[in-house]
Amino acid sequence: MKEYDIVIVGAGPGGSTAAKEAAERGLKTIFFERGRRPGEKNSSGTGLGPRLWREFDFMNEINSEDCPSIREGRAARNYMVDSEGKVTGYIMTTPTSSVEYEPAKSWITLNCYRSDFDPWLAKYAVDAGAELKTSTLVTGLLKEDGKVVGVIDEKGEKYRGFVIGADGAVSMVAQQSGLRQRWGQKQVTLTLQYDFECSASKIDDVMGDEALAVWWSATFPAAYQVFFNSSFHIGFGNWMTWWDKNPVHYLNKVVNLDYFQRLIRVLDAKPREFQAHLLPWLGMPENTHTDNVILIGDAGGFPCPLEAEGIYPAMVTGRAAIETATEAIAAGDTSKEFLSLYDDKWMATSVGEDFKSGPELQSIWMALPFSPRKSMSWFVPLFMEILGGIIDWSEAHPVRIRQVARTIRKYLPQLVPFVIKEVIPLLTSVLGEDRMDMLTDPEKLLTEMPEIEEALAMAFMQDEEED
Amino acid sequence: MKIDHRNLQTRIPVTDDFISIDNSKCTQCDRCLVICVMNLWKKRDDTVYIVDDYTSHCLECGACAQVCESDAITFRFPAGGTGIVIEQG
Repeated sequence: MKEYDIVIVGAGPGGSTAAKEAAERGLKTIFFERGRRPGEKNSSGTGLGPRLWREFDFMNEINSEDCPSIREGRAARNYMVDSEGKVTGYIMTTPTSSVEYEPAKSWITLNCYRSDFDPWLAKYAVDAGAELKTSTLVTGLLKEDGKVVGVIDEKGEKYRGFVIGADGAVSMVAQQSGLRQRWGQKQVTLTLQYDFECSASKIDDVMGDEALAVWWSATFPAAYQVFFNSSFHIGFGNWMTWWDKNPVHYLNKVVNLDYFQRLIRVLDAKPREFQAHLLPWLGMPENTHTDNVILIGDAGGFPCPLEAEGIYPAMVTGRAAIETATEAIAAGDTSKEFLSLYDDKWMATSVGEDFKSGPELQSIWMALPFSPRKSMSWFVPLFMEILGGIIDWSEAHPVRIRQVARTIRKYLPQLVPFVIKEVIPLLTSVLGEDRMDMLTDPEKLLTEMPEIEEALAMAFMQDEEED
Repeated sequence: MKIDHRNLQTRIPVTDDFISIDNSKCTQCDRCLVICVMNLWKKRDDTVYIVDDYTSHCLECGACAQVCESDAITFRFPAGGTGIVIEQG
């Protein structure tokens, strides 16, 4: 039996941050990695956003020498793909004038492979004095009188200490501590991606400072394309309830878009690796701790409720877990009751702020970009009618405006319920009920909507006959 | 473009069995057959099984056990230092 203050299962970004924080507080810490080195078992999008730099000073030290895959960007490209698989438009976006955090005015993401990032981060923990044990699978929890007091590895070696479950979506710690057998099918996504290698200079020429592209589509779930130094990921995920065919079938739909194929040719890109993993994506984490155990990062269900960013929440909850454990150890009380302090701590962070509107954020995402056939099939043409309808010289412009407006009206039966069911609850959650009431309330909107629709119908009826 | 996604991995040979199915619990909902991106689950004569050489193909995502609500599928990770190696994740 080996004695530690803190025993961390997992050496991903959450586990390493926790290990670093614990070691810096003088706690005797060990963290485990089942791969030969951190990052070897992990795949992600993988974009790191400015929030990481706000919270963690050491992020300023990340560099292309330690992490050669790095590519930074200040822009994102958004493709709109219709039901026939045609790209009907795209928009490039950059930080807008409402951004207040100074560094975020000039960049939106730094992309870095997990095989670079995870070992880079783990080194900070090791340098702080934490012990990293690699190539070691932690297979069980050590229990005394039914309570968790440590962990057991695959060789039967026992390690006593406060347990941090940083072991990802398929968390042994969550299972064996009784916190969760498995996720609900609407609490977790299957996420898969290809890695394509290509030339760095071609990415520079074709994408410029656009380091990210999102393919919003009516035939597959919204797909992300993340550019690294000389490669890119193309991938997506969806909740377990959505897949009616093999997920690879849908991913190949992205790759085989004419537009995507053209991009592959221009970038001289070749598929190099295929990866898949479970990614928890839920409105609100539950069962985050029990006696002597805290779950962090993916293991605790902390990926962002809107877009499932996982690294930042893992690092923030890793730190909150160690702050909690430190107080619990000092108080001589690591009971579930005392550890509810952990929920208070992470709820007070910007991760907690996201989860305050978590159910609404998750719901709108599930209902729109991840319901391609049900929602994006009307959203893409509606959006492109507004954006692209006027760039046209087929008629006199007033006629075109009437044609566009009539087409938009056609989508109201889909748009209106969506706004009522998804947009208004989200705005209510973000703005608060009082302010929302100033705008409108759903009941009022529902009762007035038929009149608005009728008014619009009347307004355009004549034109229909005319054209 | 036809991508052979099943051959785009690096791995260290696995020495232990880490996925199993208890057919007495299996309700033949077939969700494991749909979800496995490597097509490792098969069905023959109303019996669901995982292919013999699954350890040479499995990505260790755990989706099969996640969708198996009858608890028929048991999944754990292979021994430390073995299995899938993600080089460009």
